[in-house]
Amino acid sequence: MSRIKDLQKNLFGGTASNARQSGMIFTLVAIVLLFQIWTGGLTLTSGNLIAVVSQYSYILILAIGMLMVIVAGHIDLSVGSVAAFTGIVVAKAMETYSLPWPLGIALGLIVGASIGAWQGFWVAYVGVPAFIVTLAGMMLFRGGNQYIGNADTVPVPRDFREIGAGFLPDVGPDTGYNNPTLLLGLVACAGMVWREWKARQTRREMQADVAPVWITGIRLAVMLGAIVFATLRFAGGRIGTSLPISGIILILLVLAYSYYTRNTIGGRHIYAVGGNARAAELSGVKLRRVNFVVMMNMSVLAALAGMIFVARSAASGPQDGLSWELDAIAAVFIGGAAVSGGLGTVSGSIVGGLVMALLNNGLQLEGVGSDMVQIIKGLVLLFAVAFDVYNKRQGHFSIIGSLMRPFRREEPPGPAGPASDPDKTLVAG
Amino acid sequence: MRRIITRGIASVGAVALLTLGTACSNEREGSTGTGDSQAKGFAKDSLVGVALPSKTSENWVLAGDLFTNGLQEAGFKADVQYAGASTTVADQQSQISAMITKGAKVIVVGATDASQLVTQVAQAKQAGVTVIAYDRLITNTRDVDYYIAFDNFKVGQLQGQALVEGMKAKKPKGPWTIELFSGSPDDNNSKVFFDGAMSVLKPLMDKGDIVVGSSQTDIKQTAIQGWKAENAQQRMDSLLTSTYAGAKKLDGVLSPNDTLARAILTSVKGAGKPIPIVTGQDSEAESVKSIMAGQQYSTINKDTRKLVAETINMIKSLQKGDKPQINDTKSYNNGSKVVPAYLLPPIIVTKKNAAEAYANDPKLAPLTK
Amino acid sequence: MTEASTLLEMRSITKSFPGVKALADVNLVVREGEIHAICGENGAGKSTLMKVLSGVHPHGSYTGGIVYRGEQMRFHGIRASEQAGIVIIHQELALVPGMSIAENIFLGNEPRRRGGIDWKASRRRASELMDQVGLREDPDTLIKDIGVGKQQLVEIAKAFAKDVKLLILDEPTAALNEDDSQHLLDLLRGFRERGITSIIISHKLNEIEAIADSITILRDGRTIETLDVKADGVNEDRIVRGMVGRELSSRFPDHTPDIGEVFFEVRDWTVQHPSSAERLVCKGSTFHVRRGEIVGFAGLMGAGRTELAMSLFGRSYGTYLSGRIFKDGEEIQLKSVADAIRHGLAYVSEDRKSIGLNLLDAIKTSMVAAKLSKITRRGVIDPVREYRIAEEYRTSLRIKTPSVDEGVVKLSGGNQQKVVLAKWMFTDPDLLILDEPTRGIDVGAKYEIYGIIQRLVSQGKGVIVISSELPELIGLCDRIYTAFEGTITGEVTRRDADPEVLMKQMTAMKKSPTS
Repeated sequence: MSRIKDLQKNLFGGTASNARQSGMIFTLVAIVLLFQIWTGGLTLTSGNLIAVVSQYSYILILAIGMLMVIVAGHIDLSVGSVAAFTGIVVAKAMETYSLPWPLGIALGLIVGASIGAWQGFWVAYVGVPAFIVTLAGMMLFRGGNQYIGNADTVPVPRDFREIGAGFLPDVGPDTGYNNPTLLLGLVACAGMVWREWKARQTRREMQADVAPVWITGIRLAVMLGAIVFATLRFAGGRIGTSLPISGIILILLVLAYSYYTRNTIGGRHIYAVGGNARAAELSGVKLRRVNFVVMMNMSVLAALAGMIFVARSAASGPQDGLSWELDAIAAVFIGGAAVSGGLGTVSGSIVGGLVMALLNNGLQLEGVGSDMVQIIKGLVLLFAVAFDVYNKRQGHFSIIGSLMRPFRREEPPGPAGPASDPDKTLVAG
Repeated sequence: MRRIITRGIASVGAVALLTLGTACSNEREGSTGTGDSQAKGFAKDSLVGVALPSKTSENWVLAGDLFTNGLQEAGFKADVQYAGASTTVADQQSQISAMITKGAKVIVVGATDASQLVTQVAQAKQAGVTVIAYDRLITNTRDVDYYIAFDNFKVGQLQGQALVEGMKAKKPKGPWTIELFSGSPDDNNSKVFFDGAMSVLKPLMDKGDIVVGSSQTDIKQTAIQGWKAENAQQRMDSLLTSTYAGAKKLDGVLSPNDTLARAILTSVKGAGKPIPIVTGQDSEAESVKSIMAGQQYSTINKDTRKLVAETINMIKSLQKGDKPQINDTKSYNNGSKVVPAYLLPPIIVTKKNAAEAYANDPKLAPLTK
Repeated sequence: MTEASTLLEMRSITKSFPGVKALADVNLVVREGEIHAICGENGAGKSTLMKVLSGVHPHGSYTGGIVYRGEQMRFHGIRASEQAGIVIIHQELALVPGMSIAENIFLGNEPRRRGGIDWKASRRRASELMDQVGLREDPDTLIKDIGVGKQQLVEIAKAFAKDVKLLILDEPTAALNEDDSQHLLDLLRGFRERGITSIIISHKLNEIEAIADSITILRDGRTIETLDVKADGVNEDRIVRGMVGRELSSRFPDHTPDIGEVFFEVRDWTVQHPSSAERLVCKGSTFHVRRGEIVGFAGLMGAGRTELAMSLFGRSYGTYLSGRIFKDGEEIQLKSVADAIRHGLAYVSEDRKSIGLNLLDAIKTSMVAAKLSKITRRGVIDPVREYRIAEEYRTSLRIKTPSVDEGVVKLSGGNQQKVVLAKWMFTDPDLLILDEPTRGIDVGAKYEIYGIIQRLVSQGKGVIVISSELPELIGLCDRIYTAFEGTITGEVTRRDADPEVLMKQMTAMKKSPTS
């Protein structure tokens, strides 16, 4: 019995793991396998994986920022419009003033930061609810996009397109694979091993029970297997294609933001503010600054996403960014964040986003129309959250529930305030 | 219990290995991206992808059905996709990628935004897929192979001529006062229609026979974002207030399509003004009724059936490895190259020739009786 | 009345939650027309037992039987139990703040006339019910405009509207001041006269001693004993023994004060109410704290004690008008919570659930939240140090939990309070302000918290305790200030402190010179 518990506890992200997040990893794997079989092996071909990454990287980038906004207890409806606005400003600037592309990107990020500061000001310092501020922003910047672009499509220069449509170059000896991608895979494997070793070290230092070696082994094997598989897929695409540049940007952002939200003071303050703003304030957290930074960061990421999309589309158009906010918000909630704030992880949101992306992709490969795709995505969002709510309310045994509550059985029968009171456990979502 | 777990892990592992095994072949040696597959032709039951804009007009819905049936009759596997209503560009991009992944040999694209498909078209080219731009020319890329459409410049010319004829019939001598409308600025065709019409109207304007009441003659001023009726109606409302509030009489309105024409007529009627000569395009059922009732003056019949049929002919030639039929190799420059085009002639329809023009159309023919 | 018939019998009730047995074989017998108290530490199973009785935990989710008025009952929801005349009034009042008293009384039970609500009848019947519970207000007054004490009465009136036979009150006086509590207890005695049976759950043992006819004591989900107050000669110590399973020789741990110099001083502190400019919540308050001293603040509701504490703590309440703070002889400026923490102040709020803790956090996360900089290097948190520090506090404060990774939401009230104390001890404060540090926690945990406070002062820190329980202040504090409506009305040393003196000053009966 204890081995099962060990496995549950350690194989899928340890103690703090979130029910919906681990549930969604299973769902993700299930979706991949389902479509892999259904499409006759098309889902996991190099070409398709590469296409999926470059198609959805900008939504996933938005999901990172949105996660932080939602954890802090807000929402941002303006991301699509901000992305479109930034896109047109950058495209227009590069076209009209023949701005070199690095300056174009810098300009885009500055535009994003300024918009973010504007929205952050209203949310944090004036106290207008983010829903209202960003609803206004949604109209404002959509209008701005049309005003500046004249509702026209503006092409961007070839070099700029690399951030959205570029790939790692083919260099080095002919190995039959894309060498830089192989190298990246190797680094990732090394990183994974190091992280696992470090985690064991930390557990030991805490004098907590360290997971048995065989569990660490399985865990590592599963993860390394996944990395090696992905590496070979991405490195083995058609000549000229490999891991997309936008995918690399995404990976860097995910690593950086996961680290930030989990391991730094700033990150922890975001959770504190979302969990209980007054308590956070009385603990010395600078509430306004946290809110300001979170909103501003979202707009910077939206600007980046907008530029990546424009680069991929080779032009900025009036329809850019339409309903992106909904995709990003859905990804965050499928990934286990709570509507009321204070709960959620970057990795969870990425998994949530990938579930949506692969669902979309698989259905398209099957030739399912966009109308049905929308319906299915809507239902997936609803059921993912409903399942979790139901699960928490019931307190019944379930695979996911037991993953979430590895300690249930050990709980002392005495001071069981909330345990005797499952109605009061927070409905997260 | 432990055995179950171990077994579970083993079976998961087995499944994983299986998928790894079946899918782990390297795709590098595939196509090298020269993309001259059309010279060799391809299998008769190959997949043909058709990516169309969202289902906002009856023409696109009809075209989709015709493609599905027509391609299947011709022995191809068809994958016809519409973009979602709110996420048009992104949807179309991923749909085209999916078609490439599925190994389509030809992809027909009715673009939602003609200049935002560069990356996908390039992917298609690398994968050796032939790309046919349907109705809307894909711009800023060398990777589009053919363009098939009605002759849109001709459409504009016909609209201009119809406008002048209609006005002459009502009031034999000029000068006539008109207003100009053009289509959505993100649609490459809008400018072509407008230029065609202006090729007829401009000389008369220079002579002073035709006067634009509001003096708004630049395409930026006349454009209607998104081909949306409400935007056209708004513009017409404000023109009527600003220019025709007094005794000034409006003789004609150049409208690029039927939806806008009807919006313009609604606006004029709402203002209680006499109905001017209004042109149109697309032969929408409502407009045909309007023409028969003597309100809208003309429309253009671009028979979607013919266009789809010609597109399928083109695909058939490509399948056999033949060169498809082309009738224009110089007019359609998309910004990167001149795209070889096959143009079908449009037909102008007024109350006079409506019965004849729609004789073969099961839906419109009854309306003309 | 002593030999009255049995109204309710709950037989060997067992209720389990996943992993926890909340009730094991619990028996409860309530006679008709009595006031029956249920006592037990937090987590003993009192609330769960009442939820079983009222149908919140429906029939089938527990084992055992409920016999009520001679009939076997199977409640499937709260509606069913209310129809049988069993009404429970929870600790957290279930009233809609923006609706009137009358609307609240009949919420879900509105008098109807021709499809609509009969407002006239509703108002008239509301007035009758309000008379019965001694509530003198206009039935159209909004709930949010009356005090907690009166809201409690509205709840009871609401129960009467449902034709109550058995009234269950869960901690009815926890949020009430002395006056309101007294009024409520009188009311219950009145009900007894009229033959209404009550079950009361309370931590306030003096009240129970004063009012109850019999007492059932629960511990760890089991029935320990049922006492007949008159026959058994029950007193508070007797109840405590039953609850904790041992005799507490004293309610307060032994402590020899070692008081040093004055190190913290506040002069002429004046603060304005956050929303109304005319109201001052602190009027020129002046006081001081010595090293190693426990200073109490006594006062009734509205005395401005919490407001004073929070406004000192980085201006977290109201608008600062004037006043100066001195620490170790130097004047300090506390413009934000961060300033206050830096200058060695800590404030443990009276309302730990809504403003003291982030209930989503793990125990260890909560403990370090107020001074993350202590466990970080260049902004990055060191998880090992966090864990070790949390473990230290877990051991030293005897927090009952399997792991500091657990969520604070799983802890009982007393253990949550210890986590909050740990959180503020971690900031190395010189002065701790504890606002109602033992509210809603049980006797055993109270004793431990008193011990922690005494340990803190013996390290040379100063502690301010704000409490509404006079015995607590008198037993714990070296010196007590009294406050009335924003003014400090007196200062009493431990030697002179007795409830009567304090109560007089708290109600400003005697003008006393402000120190």
